[in-house]
Amino acid sequence: MKLNIEGLLVYFPYDYIYPEQYSYMLELKRTLDAKGHGVLEMPSGTGKTISLLSLIVAYQKAYPLEVTKLVYCSRTVPEIEKVVEELRKLMDYYAKQTGVKNDFLALALSSRKNLCIHPEVSSLRFGKEVDGKCHSLTASYIRAQHHSNPSQPVCQFFEEFDAVGRQVPIPPGIYNLDDLKDFGRRKGWCPYFLARYAILHANIVVYSYHYLLDPKIADLVSKELAKKSVVVFDEAHNIDNVCIDSMSVNITRRTLDRCQTNVETLQNTISRIKETDAAKLREEYRRLVEGLKEANVARETDIYLSNPVLPDEILQEAVPGSIRTAEHFVGFIKRFLEYLKARLRIHHVVQESAPQFLKDIYEKVCIDRKPLRFCAERLRSLLRTLEIADIADFSAITLISHFATLVSTYSKGFTIIIEPFEDRTPTIANPVLHFSCMDPSIAIKPVFGRFQSVIITSGTLSPLDIYPRILDFRPVTMASFTMTLARTCLCPLIVGRGNDQVAMTSKFETREDFAVIRNYGNLLLEMSAIVPDGIVAFFTSYIYMENIVASWYEQGILENIQRNKLIFIETQDAAETSMALEKYQEACENGRGAILLSVARGKVSEGIDFVHHFGRAVIMFGVPYVYTQSRILKARLEYLRDQFQIRENDFLTFDAMRHAAQCVGRAIRGKTDYGLMIFADKRYARADKRGKLPRWIQEHLTDGSLNLTIDETVQLSKHFLRQMAQPFRRVTTRTFLSLFNDLNQA
Amino acid sequence: MASLSEEVLLVVKRVRQRKQDGTLYLMAERIAWGPEGKDRFTVSHLYADIRCQKISPDGKAKIQLQLILHTGESTTFHFSNGSTALKDRDATKELLQQLLPKFKKKANKELEEKNRMLQEDPVLFQLYKDLVVSQVISAEEFWANRLSLNTVEHSLSNNSKQEVGISAAFLADIRPQTDGCNGLRYNLTSDIIESIFRTYPTVKQKYAENVPHNLTEKEFWTRFFQSHYFHRDRISTGQQDIFSECAKQDEKGLKSMVTQGVKNPMVDLLLLEDKTLDEGYGTATVPTTSNSSNKSLRENSNSAIIKRFNHHSAMVLAAGLRKADAPSDQASETSSTDGNSRDSDFFQLPLKKVKLQESIEYDDLQGDSGRKTIALNLKKSDRYSHGPIPLQSQHYTTSQDIINSISIIQHEMRNYKPRLTQVMSSNAASSAITALSPGGLLMQGGGQQTINQLVPTDVQIELKHLYTAAGELLRHFWSCFPVNTPFLEDKVVKMKSNLERFQVTKLRPFQEKIQRQYLSMTLMGHLEEMLQAAYSKFQVWQTRRMMRKT
Repeated sequence: MKLNIEGLLVYFPYDYIYPEQYSYMLELKRTLDAKGHGVLEMPSGTGKTISLLSLIVAYQKAYPLEVTKLVYCSRTVPEIEKVVEELRKLMDYYAKQTGVKNDFLALALSSRKNLCIHPEVSSLRFGKEVDGKCHSLTASYIRAQHHSNPSQPVCQFFEEFDAVGRQVPIPPGIYNLDDLKDFGRRKGWCPYFLARYAILHANIVVYSYHYLLDPKIADLVSKELAKKSVVVFDEAHNIDNVCIDSMSVNITRRTLDRCQTNVETLQNTISRIKETDAAKLREEYRRLVEGLKEANVARETDIYLSNPVLPDEILQEAVPGSIRTAEHFVGFIKRFLEYLKARLRIHHVVQESAPQFLKDIYEKVCIDRKPLRFCAERLRSLLRTLEIADIADFSAITLISHFATLVSTYSKGFTIIIEPFEDRTPTIANPVLHFSCMDPSIAIKPVFGRFQSVIITSGTLSPLDIYPRILDFRPVTMASFTMTLARTCLCPLIVGRGNDQVAMTSKFETREDFAVIRNYGNLLLEMSAIVPDGIVAFFTSYIYMENIVASWYEQGILENIQRNKLIFIETQDAAETSMALEKYQEACENGRGAILLSVARGKVSEGIDFVHHFGRAVIMFGVPYVYTQSRILKARLEYLRDQFQIRENDFLTFDAMRHAAQCVGRAIRGKTDYGLMIFADKRYARADKRGKLPRWIQEHLTDGSLNLTIDETVQLSKHFLRQMAQPFRRVTTRTFLSLFNDLNQA
Repeated sequence: MASLSEEVLLVVKRVRQRKQDGTLYLMAERIAWGPEGKDRFTVSHLYADIRCQKISPDGKAKIQLQLILHTGESTTFHFSNGSTALKDRDATKELLQQLLPKFKKKANKELEEKNRMLQEDPVLFQLYKDLVVSQVISAEEFWANRLSLNTVEHSLSNNSKQEVGISAAFLADIRPQTDGCNGLRYNLTSDIIESIFRTYPTVKQKYAENVPHNLTEKEFWTRFFQSHYFHRDRISTGQQDIFSECAKQDEKGLKSMVTQGVKNPMVDLLLLEDKTLDEGYGTATVPTTSNSSNKSLRENSNSAIIKRFNHHSAMVLAAGLRKADAPSDQASETSSTDGNSRDSDFFQLPLKKVKLQESIEYDDLQGDSGRKTIALNLKKSDRYSHGPIPLQSQHYTTSQDIINSISIIQHEMRNYKPRLTQVMSSNAASSAITALSPGGLLMQGGGQQTINQLVPTDVQIELKHLYTAAGELLRHFWSCFPVNTPFLEDKVVKMKSNLERFQVTKLRPFQEKIQRQYLSMTLMGHLEEMLQAAYSKFQVWQTRRMMRKT
């Protein structure tokens, strides 16, 4: 259908539209008009993605000079692919309606692991191996060697692309990962480099957060994206953690040991080269004097070594003299390394800020702040000069150099914590240096600064106002849309007590209580008898789940559950869990029914949807608070309190509730879907917890369902399920259209 | 006599039927009764025909047993052998009780099938009422060509009998009981043993190896229950345990399952993450060097339990699917043989595409066009598209005119540009639409009133029923042509008379009814025409046959 969104003609590839989609587009258009940022929350399953795409594409078509590019960031590979497929649907619809052939170029970009078509390289299993192998075939000096020595293997796909791929633009169309691979195979070009090159002139780019948020990658991949782009972060409820992760560094003794060997290798290589090819080192020296703004011919392929800080500030300056020659630099690194080793030889926990650390390092080993800042860049240059083939091994020294640069660049927002042992095993010495980022706005700041509109959206962003605060930006629109339902297809229930009236809670003091564990077990048992097909249960942490499962096993609860359904359990091994997941789906599919026991914050809770019969009920055992005893978390909470005036408790609750909402939201993926959401902890009934759930869940949480016993829950669930099992008639959707007409009047 | 060769299961003397003394015989397939002194049976029912038996209450003077047949008839036997009458009757009852269910299934299947069809298909039911109940055609005729359609597919589904799955809790069902003197008793049934074997093939193998040469069956199971294999949370003590090997094999099986990877890319957690953080980055405290050494014993056993449950569930699932899966799931086989190597991309692609498509559908937003239709399968499409052309003179626009007008409209549509900022307000638009709809301001003059506005609904419904009934009869009639066998000749004559009967019993009353209501007679016109066409065809055929005969 065609829509009139405040004068903008929007093609929408469906015959009907949900009212909330319409309002979503309206808000989005206002954001784009204002060239500002927006925070939009809309429940999953209401067609957020297609609304976003429809509107922004229409905007791009209507005002090609205002918005040149859409950068769509999502979280996981399947989600990226889904977005591209929805886009394809939209573009097909455009072509059908207007009769004009699509002239848009849209593509997905992913890591080499997902795009490589080189027969040898692509057969490797881990992303890191693929990257390393790829590099050993495509690095600039390898290719230079190939010229003189044809027996040196190179990647023919990259050569082919390098020779012709840049001149011939990729024809307009929608390219998913597989389409890129197909295209690459047909042409004999490397799909990965093709995609990386093509994003510069593509109208729509779909890739993962990291390409924009992780400065190590963003610098190379996304540096040249136009300012007039619209950036969308979908599923952005965890965006602060992504930001923090990309800026934090952990150094263990093992890292230092490996770094030590790296240094030795470097030293040997330098002395060897000095004998054979001293000119090369002199050339490098000259280049460093001129500054780092070198012509980056080889830069494209050498991405694994880029600078973790935002380069513009440094690239103007020349590398300081003290680390300009190779030997001096290696000596410098050695000193730094020794210092770190000394710091790790401690017996008590140390926490300090970056300036304190810098002061200490200056006093102890006379290392200045300035050369530290250039560490990462200097190492990059050195490794390239030395033409070290097997570069993957140098991850340790790279990590150290990144740490050096980060610690000397940012005086605020970071903390250094040195722990001599893990809390749980105080007898085993395992010193770790955490250099932890506490301010997510540091990583995302350049994104907000550079692009004209940044949209942050997800199904669960409540409470909305906290995101602008922790990410430090000023949105022009903030809106939360609820789900209009023809029938109440979600049923949130808060179970607070067992039948014996013992309170159910995962509170730390009572979580080992036998009665609580037994009541949790009874809840699951009762539900397994009445819920059809799949049930997903989430625990607050992996260890907690292990303990509960063990005691359920001893009490024979699991055996009773098995009478009703098969049981699958998430493990810490991803491959094993994948298998369990698949079997779980199989069991739901063939009517046996199954239960999946899983963990909040785990991979399952973040990336896997349980549509329709794969999840008829979700049970959240306990409130998924983060492990509060961790020092890193404590430091972060303190920082949040001091800098953003966010109270510790507020943040912890917010964090727990967004994860709980994520977990229970896994089961409802559309309006034809239905599912029970059971919050099994009496603390959910409190206003401060309840109020932080997304609006679309809160709305259906009646006062009568706040502190139920197991029996009451079973009764309510039975009633709900019986109602939902009635055939869903489509008549109701018809009203949406007329409703839309009403909307249009306004 | 044929019955002589039958096996006689029970003979009861002195049974009266219709006040006649006689003997009751229960044979392998039927029950029969013959009067005293005579050599033949006057009553004989196949078990398959019997719906149920009834007996007289105990206190009653007459000791009777009544058989009720599917047709609704019944036969009553009176046991009159004085003292043993009750015993005789009970023996008969018992035996019948055993025999009847065996035959019931066979007989009822067809009946059930018919019943089901009638219940599921209201049109068919109406037809049945119109034709069979009103005795236009007989039930056999009615079903004759209906069932044949179904039996084919039905027999197909019947042949592959569904395998019974395994209860997930079969191990839990063997709850040990203390026997009072410091021992445990496990109750094993053959079902449970079967379940164990099917779920854990390695145990079956062990059983085959050791029983009975090394161990007795009892010893085998005793050891099984003692083994750590059964109690998976106990850590292996390293004793001489024949099941330790099983555990190892299971481990191996689990590993291979894991390395094989998953077929559905949407649930593959390994592929989920696009770019993992490099080692050393991030805040998440990775379980550093998770050696089993620094894990406590308890943690180890906990994770063993978890592993065990996953494995157990997977095995139970697989045991249930093993047979059904084998022929149908070829696609999965190909992809599983080459595991997760990149070459399998080609196999994976379709599945991945399908899953992606599935996940982006919003079927409630789709228009009605999305409803599934049955594809028209034409053998000669040209005949369909030209069809029988009515030879009525009508004014046609030439095809050129049509093409021209279409192209003009197309042209206009193409150049149509909505001016979105100056659109009509929706109030105005909706009033325009009402004005233009039938019955609206602008649509009052012209417009034919359709049948559903003219005729009351009850008449409409009746007309519809008549149409379906007539259609069914005509279908039977026309299906006889070309008449080339004597059977068909018979049938066509019968069908013709059926049609005539239909016209007399059904159409006439209806005609009178609409006459009484002063409705236009044209309603019936088409029905009559169809019947006339059939009659004239019959006439032609008959005269031709007469001519051939003479």
